[in-house]
Amino acid sequence: MTVRRSDAGVVLLEGACAVEDAEPLLQLLQGSPLPVIDWTECSHLHTAVVQVVLASGIRPIGPCGDAWVRQWTEPELPRRETVG
Amino acid sequence: MSALQEQFVTEARELIRQATDDLIALEQAGASTERIDSAFRAFHTLKGSAGVVELPAMGVMLHAAEDLLAGIRHGRLRIDAEIIDAALACLDQVSRWVDDFGAVGALPVRSGEDGRAMAERLRSLLPGGPELFAPGPIPGKTEDLLPEWVSRLLATEREVLASGLRKRPSVATAICYEPIPGCFYNGDDPLELMRKIPALLAFRIEPREPFLPLADIDPYACNLRLLAISFADFAEIAGIFRLVPDQVRIVRIPPEASSNGEEPGELHDLSLVGTVIEAQCELLRMAERSEDFAGCVGAAARAAVNALRYGQQLHLADAVGRGGALALAQHHPGPLLSELEKALGALADKPSDVVARALDRPDNTTAGAPERTVDRVLRVSEAKIDALVNLAGELVVARNALAYSARQVEQAIGGGEISRSIQRDHEAIDRLVNELHGTVLQLRMVPMAQLFGSFPRLIRDLARQLGKKVSLVTRGETTEIDKTILDRLFEPMVHLVRNALDHGVEDAEQRRAAGKSDAATISIAASRVGDRLLLEIADDGRGIDPGMVRQKASERRLLPQDELNALTDDAVIDLIFSAGFSTVSAVSDISGRGIGMDVVRTTMDQIAGSVSLESKVGIGTNVRLYLPMTIAMSRIMVVEAGGQLFGIAMDAVSETILLTPDRVSTIKTNDGFVLRDRIVPIVSLAELMRLPRQARDATAARLLVVMEAAGRIAAFEIDAIRDRLDVVLKPMHGLLAGARGYAGTTLMGNGQVLLVLDVKELLP
Repeated sequence: MTVRRSDAGVVLLEGACAVEDAEPLLQLLQGSPLPVIDWTECSHLHTAVVQVVLASGIRPIGPCGDAWVRQWTEPELPRRETVG
Repeated sequence: MSALQEQFVTEARELIRQATDDLIALEQAGASTERIDSAFRAFHTLKGSAGVVELPAMGVMLHAAEDLLAGIRHGRLRIDAEIIDAALACLDQVSRWVDDFGAVGALPVRSGEDGRAMAERLRSLLPGGPELFAPGPIPGKTEDLLPEWVSRLLATEREVLASGLRKRPSVATAICYEPIPGCFYNGDDPLELMRKIPALLAFRIEPREPFLPLADIDPYACNLRLLAISFADFAEIAGIFRLVPDQVRIVRIPPEASSNGEEPGELHDLSLVGTVIEAQCELLRMAERSEDFAGCVGAAARAAVNALRYGQQLHLADAVGRGGALALAQHHPGPLLSELEKALGALADKPSDVVARALDRPDNTTAGAPERTVDRVLRVSEAKIDALVNLAGELVVARNALAYSARQVEQAIGGGEISRSIQRDHEAIDRLVNELHGTVLQLRMVPMAQLFGSFPRLIRDLARQLGKKVSLVTRGETTEIDKTILDRLFEPMVHLVRNALDHGVEDAEQRRAAGKSDAATISIAASRVGDRLLLEIADDGRGIDPGMVRQKASERRLLPQDELNALTDDAVIDLIFSAGFSTVSAVSDISGRGIGMDVVRTTMDQIAGSVSLESKVGIGTNVRLYLPMTIAMSRIMVVEAGGQLFGIAMDAVSETILLTPDRVSTIKTNDGFVLRDRIVPIVSLAELMRLPRQARDATAARLLVVMEAAGRIAAFEIDAIRDRLDVVLKPMHGLLAGARGYAGTTLMGNGQVLLVLDVKELLP
């Protein structure tokens, strides 16, 4: 699984997350309170996955495993952990 | 086709005409701000309308043209023939598509590719200017007006850019990629393209529309805008995005824009916000009648919200958005309209004088203004006007009948009270009918400008093709003429203008040798001369050599040699209109005149006009067309011959004479007489019409109608002149359509059908 919830309730993005990972990710995020995302172990993120992360307003635990996203997208994400 | 689409077709044609005029004026007179603005507005409005009726291919193309004009407007581009050519070609394409859309409600299958190709051609003319490769994805959105996103990107990334530039002075390129919502389904990974951009300097990812709450999000609908600045070569970046040209905009950032804080067009754009909203209001007012009500409201709300957001009027944008939703729910544009009006009011209150100017300017020079002036004119289909003209014509006939009845009454009961009363009423009706008829005919009067409008373009293209320099002068554009006549004039005018350009106008070298200016002048002028309209087409070219015409005429045996020798030079030149001459293809070596002269002459005959030509070798040629202002009414003389009545057009009658027998001379079996040194043959109309000739007292004077037409003269002998009438001439139709010698028929007051003679056919 490239997208899963850890036992601790953290949503983990691992390896190459493809377009089809967007929906399970969204489902994992659709709950209250907003969970924590960890994307340190991912190697590549598809746009659709990045979009879900952005839409959630969550700043994942980093640094992002996808070097390009780490350089160009991560600094732009909201500073707060969660956005109400 | 919905009302909205019909409106689009009509307006698009007007806008195309406007833009064409502006472009040609720009080329000739140089970059005048007014003309550039006017052309820009026309293109912009066209683009917006194309977006509303959902013609993206047209939008992409017009967007590119608009960028080109924006370049000129901001002084980044100089106008040259190539740019005007391309912009005109774009208008041609739009014009063809509008025709297609009007006919079948859709664009041709290849329109997408054609549109992109045209857009690329237009953009290739933008050297180093900003928008180089920017097919706007959704025409009609205000964001597309100017590369606002570039300024926004620059504003946040200026430091990065400046430091980057210090290290590596070069031209930076900005990229705005808005993937279509369904791109994930196409297997696209938009970030993948961004990752491929070399020498990336800055990158931003943002939602195109604010993200919905997570519960409502469709994870497979892309709602992102990806912005980037790179030092990579423009072509390299264009290559990366070659498969999504409709979704990406690539712009070269001039070094000065990245170093100083100036952001061009900021306030300027705010002025457009108001006009965009005004345009939406207009659309909405029409939308109630439209089949696609929801589409109209949706589109109007979107456009207005985008415009307001763009102008940083976020709270207004929200209010308008709510109004739009309410309007959709209530199926009535009211709520949206009222929000839009409030927004307009709020904008007008802003301290920006630009906005205030945009909204208050009384002379309608803001964007969107063309629609407003146009809308004040009531559009009525030509068919309805024609029906009205016909009815008014029938009324004239009925009025004639009344005159007849009034006379009958008077004869029957004498000049009593009743008779006088009928006479009075008849006079009143007579006056009113005349006025009505005149007014109705006025409806069909159109300014000559409608005809002249096509010529700047035609002359420009021809001149370029022939490598000649020509300037066009038009005068009398406001002179009005009946539309039916105007419509017939285009073809002969084209022939005359083409002849003038092709053969009359010399090339620059010859002109210089002849001591003339390099650029020839062709003038088209309309003026009123009495009840006729004079249309003159003149050039200052080499003129027509009468010697050459004489030689050709003699070769073609148009006239016996002795007659030909006797003709003056002016009369000789007139020969080019004679039948045998003008159809000869070889005349093109006599400075080419003659080709198409046939068309000119035939058309003039059909609309009861005449043509004359004056030419001086080395100085130029002047063709004069004398035209009737209207052709709806003809004045005829009713004559009797052989016991039957005939109508003769008054145009052809030069005089009526009571001829005493001693003046008649008989040559062989034909009678004739001398009238002011001309021999006029006498023709018995009864004989001509194969009617029994009435026994005539040989000593009695003979009643003659002298007629002149097509340079021939003859006198018709008749028994009596009965009346003079203004009639509506109906052409012969049905079985009689082919009958020669008749111009048409009309109804007389007593209900009798009167045959009106075609004098030209009958003259011996």
